[in-house]
Amino acid sequence: MAMMIPYGQRITPDTRETRSRGLMRPRPLGRVVRVVLASLLALWFALPLVPLLVWSVANRWSFPAVLPTEWGLDGLMTALEQGAAPAFGRSIVLALAVAAIATPLGALAARALTLGRVPAPRLVSGILLAPLALPAFVAVMGLTIVLLRARVPAALAVLLLLVAAALPYTVYTMRVAYAAHDLAFEEEARTLGASRWHVLWRVHLPLVAPGLARAAFLAFLVGWSDYVVTVLVGGGTLVTLPLLVGSYAAGVGNDAIVAVLSLSAIIPPLLLLLALGRFGRRYPAARFAGPTPSRSPKGSP
Amino acid sequence: MLPMPGPGAVARARPRASRDRWWGLAAVAPALLIAGLVVVGGIGMSVAQSVGLVPLVGEAAFTLDAYLANGDELLTGLGLSLAIATASTVLSCVIGLTAAIIITQGRSTGRLVAALSALTIPVPHLVGAASVGLLIADSGLIPRVLGIAPTAWPDLVGGPWWVAVVLEYTWKESAFVALVVAGVLATRVARYDETAALLGASRARRLWHVVIPLAKPAVIVSAVIIFVYTLGSYEVAWLLGRPYPEPLPVLAFRLFNSITLTSRPEAAAVAVVTTLVSLIAVAIGMALLRRTPLWK
Repeated sequence: MAMMIPYGQRITPDTRETRSRGLMRPRPLGRVVRVVLASLLALWFALPLVPLLVWSVANRWSFPAVLPTEWGLDGLMTALEQGAAPAFGRSIVLALAVAAIATPLGALAARALTLGRVPAPRLVSGILLAPLALPAFVAVMGLTIVLLRARVPAALAVLLLLVAAALPYTVYTMRVAYAAHDLAFEEEARTLGASRWHVLWRVHLPLVAPGLARAAFLAFLVGWSDYVVTVLVGGGTLVTLPLLVGSYAAGVGNDAIVAVLSLSAIIPPLLLLLALGRFGRRYPAARFAGPTPSRSPKGSP
Repeated sequence: MLPMPGPGAVARARPRASRDRWWGLAAVAPALLIAGLVVVGGIGMSVAQSVGLVPLVGEAAFTLDAYLANGDELLTGLGLSLAIATASTVLSCVIGLTAAIIITQGRSTGRLVAALSALTIPVPHLVGAASVGLLIADSGLIPRVLGIAPTAWPDLVGGPWWVAVVLEYTWKESAFVALVVAGVLATRVARYDETAALLGASRARRLWHVVIPLAKPAVIVSAVIIFVYTLGSYEVAWLLGRPYPEPLPVLAFRLFNSITLTSRPEAAAVAVVTTLVSLIAVAIGMALLRRTPLWK
C-alpha cells in the first residue's frame, strides 16, 4: 500500500490530518462493535453444544441446580447397553459406503463436465444438482413402493437414496477442483511416456486429492447424519446412530443417554474435519477463509 | 456421430471429438442415472400415487381425493412450513453474513468465530435439535443458569411460535452461510474492498457498496438451499415442535406411517405440494441470481 511512497517524502501521521483519512482514522467504536459482535457470534455457535458436554457426564441433574447433582458415566453405560456400539458401527459403514460411491461418481461426472465432453451440459448438471432442491422425504415416499416391488434390500435402497443426496455435493466440489486443475501436467506425463494408469495414479489423483478429500467428507456427512431416509426406507431394520438419538430424544428423562449418543455422533465427523483441515493445507489455491496476506490490519505506513 | 461439438472438443483434433463425447457420456452416466432415478422417479411416483394411479390394492383410477381429504391440514401445514422456512432462512442469512464479514477481517476474533462456526458444520440436525432442547427447554441449561422457574419460562420447545425449531435451523444454517460466504469474500472481495478503501470509501460505504453486493450471489444460493432444506426437513420439527398444527413433512410422515389404505396417496399429495413449493423457491432464487450483476 503506502510502501510506494519514497522514504524522503514520508510524512509522520499527524493526528489532526489522519482524522480525515479513511484508512488511518482510529476507530475505538468500530473495534468495540467488532469485538462485541464476534463474542456474541462465538457464544451463538458454541452455546448449544455446552449442555451436551455437561449432560454426558451427569448421572443426576435435578432442576434448579446449575451443575449436575451427581457426576458419573451412567449415560454412557446405558447407551452401550442399548446397542450404541453396533449402531455406531452401522453408521460408520453406511457413511463410508456413501462416500466411497458418491465421490468417484461425482469426480467422473465433474471431470467430464469441466472438460466440456458432455452433451447438453446444462441439463446434465441440472439433474445432478436437483437432489438438493428435492426434499428427501419426497424421493423416499415416491420410490419406496418401486423399490419394495423390485425387492431391493432395505440397506441397498437406503444407500442408493443417500448416494443420490450426496452427488450434488461431490459433483460441485469436484467441479471446483477440476476448474483449478491443469490438464497440461497430465499431457506432459503422457508425452514423457507414462501409461494412462500411471498418469492417473501419479499425476491426476495426487493433484485433485484435496478436492477428493473434501468431496468425500461431504458425502460422508450426508450418510452419517441422515435420519429421514433410514427411518422411512429401513423401517427400523437398519438402526443407525441418528435413529437411536431420535428415539431417546423423543422420550423423557433420557437426557444423559441423548447427550452421550449425540456426542458420539459429533466426534467422528469432527475428527475428519480436523484431518481435512490439515490435509487441505497442501492445496494453496482454495484454502478456506484464511487471513488474506495483502490486508495489513493496522494500515501502517 | 453427435452433431454439436462442445467447447472442449473444439480445441482438440477433430477425429477425437466424437470419441471424447462418448467417454464424457460414459463418465457422467452412473451419477446421472442415480440422481435422475431418484429425482425424476421420486417426483413422478409421488405424483402418480397422489392422483390414485399406484394404489396399494385395487384398481388404478385418476382422482384428486388425496389432495382434498386433508385440505385444511394441508393448508395450515403449508402456511406453517413457509413461515418456519422463511424465518430460519432470513435469520441464518443475516447472522451468517455478519459472521462471514467478521471472519474475513482475519483478526483473532475472526479466527475464533471461524473455528466455532466450522465446529457446527458436522453436527447432524437431529443432534442439533436434541442439544437445543437441552439448552432452552423449561428445564434446560439457560433457565437453570438464569434461575427461572419452569412455570415462568416461555414455551420455546413445543410452544405456539416454534421458537426452538427456528433457532435450531438458524444455528446450523448460519454456520453454513458463514462458511460459503466467507469463502467467497476471502477469495474475491478482499481486493475490491482494499481498492475502495484506498479510494477513500468509508467503512459503511464499503460494506454497503462493495462487500454486500459481492457476497450477494453466494447469499442467494445458500438462502435457496436453506429454504428448501428447512421446508422439507422432518426430524427437527418433529422433535422440537408441537403435535398440532403439523408442518408439511411431519404431516406427510404421519400419513405415510398410518395404517389406513387411503393415507399413502394422501402422504404423496403432501409430498407433491412440498415439492412444488421447493421448485418455486428454486425458480425465484435463480431469477434473483440472474439479476445480480455478478452472474455469469
